Amino acid sequence: MIFTIFKKELIDTLRDKRTMRTMLLIPLLVFPITLTLFVNVSSSFEKKASEEQLKIGVWGDLGAKYWNQLEQMPAGLGKKELKNFKDSSALKRAIEQGEIQLGLIVPKNEAELARSKKPIPLMWLFDASSVGRQQRAESYMNYLSDIAETVRLKELGVDSEKLHPLIPVFQNCASDKKMIGQLAGGFLPYIFIAFGFIGCMYPAIDLFTGEKERGTIETLLTTPVSRWQMLVGKMMVVVTSGMLAASCALLGLFVSIEFLDIVHNKEILDIVHGILTPTFILAMFSLLFPLVVFFAGVMIPIAIYAKSFKEAQSIITPLNFVMVLPAMIGFFPGIELNALTAAIPVVNIVLSTKELISGTLSVGYYSISLGIMLILATLSVVVSYRQFGNEARILN
Amino acid sequence: MIKVSHLRKEFELSRQQKKELNTTANNALAVDDLSFECQPGKVFSLLGPNGAGKTTTLRMLSTILTPSSGSIEIAGVDAVKYPQEARAKIGFLTGSTGLYARLTPIEIIDYFAALYQVPTKEKEERKKYLFDLLNMNDFLQKRIGKLSTGMKQKVSICRTMIHNPEVVIFDEPTSGLDVITAENIIKLIRDCKNQGKTVIFSSHIMSEVDLLCDDLAIVHKGQLKYNGQMSDFRQNMEASNLTEEFIRIVQR
Repeated sequence: MIFTIFKKELIDTLRDKRTMRTMLLIPLLVFPITLTLFVNVSSSFEKKASEEQLKIGVWGDLGAKYWNQLEQMPAGLGKKELKNFKDSSALKRAIEQGEIQLGLIVPKNEAELARSKKPIPLMWLFDASSVGRQQRAESYMNYLSDIAETVRLKELGVDSEKLHPLIPVFQNCASDKKMIGQLAGGFLPYIFIAFGFIGCMYPAIDLFTGEKERGTIETLLTTPVSRWQMLVGKMMVVVTSGMLAASCALLGLFVSIEFLDIVHNKEILDIVHGILTPTFILAMFSLLFPLVVFFAGVMIPIAIYAKSFKEAQSIITPLNFVMVLPAMIGFFPGIELNALTAAIPVVNIVLSTKELISGTLSVGYYSISLGIMLILATLSVVVSYRQFGNEARILN
Repeated sequence: MIKVSHLRKEFELSRQQKKELNTTANNALAVDDLSFECQPGKVFSLLGPNGAGKTTTLRMLSTILTPSSGSIEIAGVDAVKYPQEARAKIGFLTGSTGLYARLTPIEIIDYFAALYQVPTKEKEERKKYLFDLLNMNDFLQKRIGKLSTGMKQKVSICRTMIHNPEVVIFDEPTSGLDVITAENIIKLIRDCKNQGKTVIFSSHIMSEVDLLCDDLAIVHKGQLKYNGQMSDFRQNMEASNLTEEFIRIVQR
């Protein structure tokens, strides 16, 4: 009987265009579209920035020395054109009006400071509202500083190696897999949770509030099927929808990585392939399943309580933020899975998935996380059952 | 057969309902000590003005609502103790019943036949009989959302009768329907009676009651005001017509 209800509700749900959009289409396309856009836009910005010829205005006692050094800067530091200015205010105005992009002010006593081996302040003017200007100035400054330092050390007769008695050598002992897990691992559970929630939302409202609104629930209640069988059959569709939406989002991400040439680094690509094993996917779904049941169990009593589709939507939509907000915990690198965080719903799923990607998930914490979510899922089913059995609620 | 004894239903009022009804009482009494019997092969009419408790009574008979007290027997089954068994013997149709707009008539009928656990052979026979009887064969594969009101009503009738119920409950079945569509319902009620089924239907339209019913109960504010045979009701009328007599009894 449960399967009969499940089958009918699934057919009904799959024929609903609105549900299909949120359950399959959007999750499936969101990553290919956004990642392609992001990669194309960012690479076109990078290309544009590297090809952009900066006009550098210079004022002060520059002398042939700096002028030549600036002119001979390697092409890798960006194309440039030098222009001499008669006074500093004209230089500043030219930057404000966008005629030039960088300004360099060399102190008038530069030659004197150089002779007396004192630091020479070089002032760089730029417009911070334009992306990358400060970085360009810093790279030019580093280039000039290196030359000036070498010259001065040579004049003083000092070997530069003697000035650096210690050479720091840093070696990262974490595996690349662990690094990816910690840095990007929060992203995967976040999208799973977000789409799992959205995937549950419309079927939950449609199968409960919708039935009340359309007047079909009364007919269903007169059939010789027990309330719990009806609830389980309907709930299975809500959970399936949530799982499908999350899976479609994962599939979209996989397609983006595999076929849209988004990841250019082969090593990273190999690590991603190493992470996406059947065992990993199975373990992740085992964590996701009770979470989606919990989502369904939270939404169904609301959908039963609501008198109209609009009312249900207005209550469940803000709930989305409450549920998905803890999922952002995964983006913070300092927060780790421990006995406490494993007991916090949603947060435990995010951190467990993160550790799963890193390959550092302990069986103990996995069990706690799973156990907590299973208890919550069961409780939410009980609450749904009680609400579904409430005459006043179910019949408006 | 339906046997109803000392049926009572109280609803707990929510804060909003108390405000709307301008009352401080925690409960509202919808049905107060109703007792009546509906015989097989007869049409029993539950008559009363809006808010009299007709729908609540029929919802208790169909086990959607649980009575606060009293007993209900449906075709020999204690419907309060064994609601699931009782539901298997009931066909329930209301004027406000909706259908699943994204499914086709054939899918809906198959779905309800499965819920009533009708054996496959019997299901196919019943489907053929009802589709022919109601002239439904032309629109069986169309989605409900694209059907006319009359076609939808035929699907609802077919859905009600697919498991060949012993007891048929109609809650204001013609409400909101045009005369031609309503005629299908009238015909169905007569067919049920001729087949020896127990039929109970609620209405506030006296002409409909006059046309169909054998036995009659009038309820007002949840209480039974009259219970007897239609022929006796006609014979003992104090007013000049049925509608006026109904109003007279209700206002008594």
